[in-house]
Amino acid sequence: MASVTAPAPSALHPRAAAFTEGARSVERRIGLLFAATGTVLILLMGVLGLIMRLTQANVIDVSPAWFYRLLTLHGMGMITGALIAAMGALWYVLHESVPLRVGHMLASYALTVVGAVCVLVATLVGGFGAGWTFLPPLSFYPAGQWPVWSESLFFVGMLLVGGGFFVYCIDVLRQTTNTFGGLTGALGWRFLAEHEAQPPPASVIAATVIAFDGLLAMSAGMTIGLGLLGRTYDSGVGFDLLVSKNLVYFFGHTIANLLIYLVAGAVYVLLPRYAGRPYEVTKVFVAGWGVALVLIVTVYSHHLYMDFVQPRWAQIVSEISSYASALPVAVVTVYSMTMLVWGSRYRWTLASTLLYLGLMGWAIGGTGAVIDSIIPFNFRLHNTVWVVAHFHTYLMLTVVVWLLAFIAHLLERDAGRTSSRLARTWTVMLLLVGGFGLTGTWFVEGVLGVPRRYAIQPPGTAGYSLVGSIFGILFALGVLACVAQLVSLGRAAWAGRHYVVAERVDSWTGTHYGARVERDTFERPAVETAPWRPWDVPLAGPVQIWFGAAACVVALASFFPQIVSASESSVRYHHLDHAGHFFLGVVAGLTIASLPAVSRRLGDRSSLGLAGVMLAPSAMMLVMVPRFYEPLEHHSFEHALYHLAMAGFGLVTGLAASRLGRVGGRLSAFLSVGMVLLFAAAMKGG
Amino acid sequence: MSLHYGGPQIAIGVVFALLALVFATAFLVIAVQAGSDVGFERVHDVGYWLRRRWLALLVVVGVVVVGISLFDLPYASGGAGRTVVKVTGGQFFWSLQPAQVSAGTRVRFDVTSVDVNHGFGLYDPHGHLIGSVQAMPGYHNKLDLTLSEAGVYWIRCFEYCGLNHSTMESSFKVTRG
Repeated sequence: MASVTAPAPSALHPRAAAFTEGARSVERRIGLLFAATGTVLILLMGVLGLIMRLTQANVIDVSPAWFYRLLTLHGMGMITGALIAAMGALWYVLHESVPLRVGHMLASYALTVVGAVCVLVATLVGGFGAGWTFLPPLSFYPAGQWPVWSESLFFVGMLLVGGGFFVYCIDVLRQTTNTFGGLTGALGWRFLAEHEAQPPPASVIAATVIAFDGLLAMSAGMTIGLGLLGRTYDSGVGFDLLVSKNLVYFFGHTIANLLIYLVAGAVYVLLPRYAGRPYEVTKVFVAGWGVALVLIVTVYSHHLYMDFVQPRWAQIVSEISSYASALPVAVVTVYSMTMLVWGSRYRWTLASTLLYLGLMGWAIGGTGAVIDSIIPFNFRLHNTVWVVAHFHTYLMLTVVVWLLAFIAHLLERDAGRTSSRLARTWTVMLLLVGGFGLTGTWFVEGVLGVPRRYAIQPPGTAGYSLVGSIFGILFALGVLACVAQLVSLGRAAWAGRHYVVAERVDSWTGTHYGARVERDTFERPAVETAPWRPWDVPLAGPVQIWFGAAACVVALASFFPQIVSASESSVRYHHLDHAGHFFLGVVAGLTIASLPAVSRRLGDRSSLGLAGVMLAPSAMMLVMVPRFYEPLEHHSFEHALYHLAMAGFGLVTGLAASRLGRVGGRLSAFLSVGMVLLFAAAMKGG
Repeated sequence: MSLHYGGPQIAIGVVFALLALVFATAFLVIAVQAGSDVGFERVHDVGYWLRRRWLALLVVVGVVVVGISLFDLPYASGGAGRTVVKVTGGQFFWSLQPAQVSAGTRVRFDVTSVDVNHGFGLYDPHGHLIGSVQAMPGYHNKLDLTLSEAGVYWIRCFEYCGLNHSTMESSFKVTRG
């Protein structure tokens, strides 16, 4: 009996086959590992969130001491969980066209997970409760609630999580820029200027922007994190609190903001597969992401609107940036996604429904954020629960929903089916009603003027918390319903890992039936990594190398006795002089290692390079505390050695940066010098 | 003191609710239309035509709203003829010097802290939030207000400051002139 075989059933749009590559096993494994780890963390942190809301509703009795531990863990844990999962989602789609390194991704995973464990221990065992934004100097005023070791452990955890993201960003930036003709190529600017006919894929442009801005944010976060860690073993370290606050929010706001962009980078690839229309990279798209590259890092200052001592120009720039940053989202990303969906015979599956839902969460949550970023409105809403409302709207109803969609996409593709329509309908209803109900109560309380982060709510407002808790439970049920479907899809995918049930048609009778056929195990070859070239170094050509040598000569001035002596007049100048030594070392390292003969001998040691650019500046900042250098000040030889060591740390950083390619190397060297300069600006004592 | 909805906040909330409703409706309509079959060229033409107008609308709204907002910034300037009230926050107390003024006085709150960051959130005698300003050690934030209504004004902490953050409150009296 002859039979005609139809293609194996797919959860994707029939037209998607024309532009959808089959996922390689490494992509699926990395994607699932990161997404599953992140989702578990998010679920646990969600339970803590519910406990806090029920406490505010006076339903359960959690002491303020425990409330603030949970608050700190909830914030840091959610950011970390979402970050891990989002990194995996973007890696999954990016690996199609960019040769990302699996080893670096696993190193990033290890650092992030160990960091998360440190934060768990610091809060739950140590009792650390200064909030995930750890606004200096609150960590060191524990009101008898936490010991010093928990402060240290929390900052170590935060630095490890930051280090994990740093490794990720460097690898992404290095590989996208290598593959697509440098930074301007990977950002699509060469296409914009019509030097190239074809733009890079949307996910590449998004990933390059995210990696670039992520590195800037992590540098600020690591600078203040190292300063705070230094303060835990030397009480002589002091902070300029306005500069510190800028660093904390530059890091915290930007990282929280990048979570959405990370997942959006993946959504550019995933959503079209259900609409059957490829995502089109236009000049408007490239320009929108170009604008986002700048605005993502300039909007943070709206967290300091109510710090009236912040320069007025910075407040106004931040207000304009905050509004303008919504334009690429509203006009490019969300709008063009809805264009893809419109009239496409959209294939509604669990993944595609959640992808669509996330767009709405971003639009509505973003509107709440834009309103809060107008200064006179912020005067009346600042640090009320309105803030909690808007960021929960796009974290719960966009980031979390999109991450669930990503896992669903992986499993649906392997299982060749989606979940039942009834289950999907209930899930969406619960997520929508529960999610917007919960954030809605916060919006209403924000209008009422209820401050955020209150363990005990103001009189007469517990009812809002109770209503919010009920909606929160509905949302949790929606997430659980979704997880149950994911488990079911996962089992189907596992059962069919060797075989697929293909639809066949009996040529005699014309009836359809399912038949087990061996799964096609062919995998398209991975994008080849370009062979390492000795001239792929930060300083290319004799002119740049001579320029580096000249910069070394200028930086030698930081060792002049008169300058060293003048810098002793204040801690800040002293640190600035150290920054000069460090700069000398960095430029010397870059220059020496960029010489072709030296570069060839050093070879491609990118892992060592990554370790060097993170550890050397960190070590320098950790020893820049009075307990280390004050005893040396009366011994001129040891004192001179100490100053020389600063240049040594720079030299290691420069040599290490030279192994990270042209863009990655230049940026990491620049940021390391920026970090020590910011350290000098933020520290008053020490 | 119980809280009550303030006028400006209600206006902000209503605008947000309306915008959220518009977006929700738009997404519902698009979801319904997603099942139909429209040629992508047609979607392109109409979509890009509409997008230019959407961008223009957002730019115009932004210029108008941001522009107007710059005339209503809460930041103090000048200061001649104002009664200075020194506000100091600490774990977990507020100190105000003087602790009362007469109605109609043009007040300058000079806000700082002795330990960690706090937030000086001021409510009028009816429980409406007037606004807030940060209290940061080593810095003085100056907030200018004219308190025209007599009564007891309440202060709550508006920046997380540790264990008793939610009970760190105080009051400020405005007497009849």
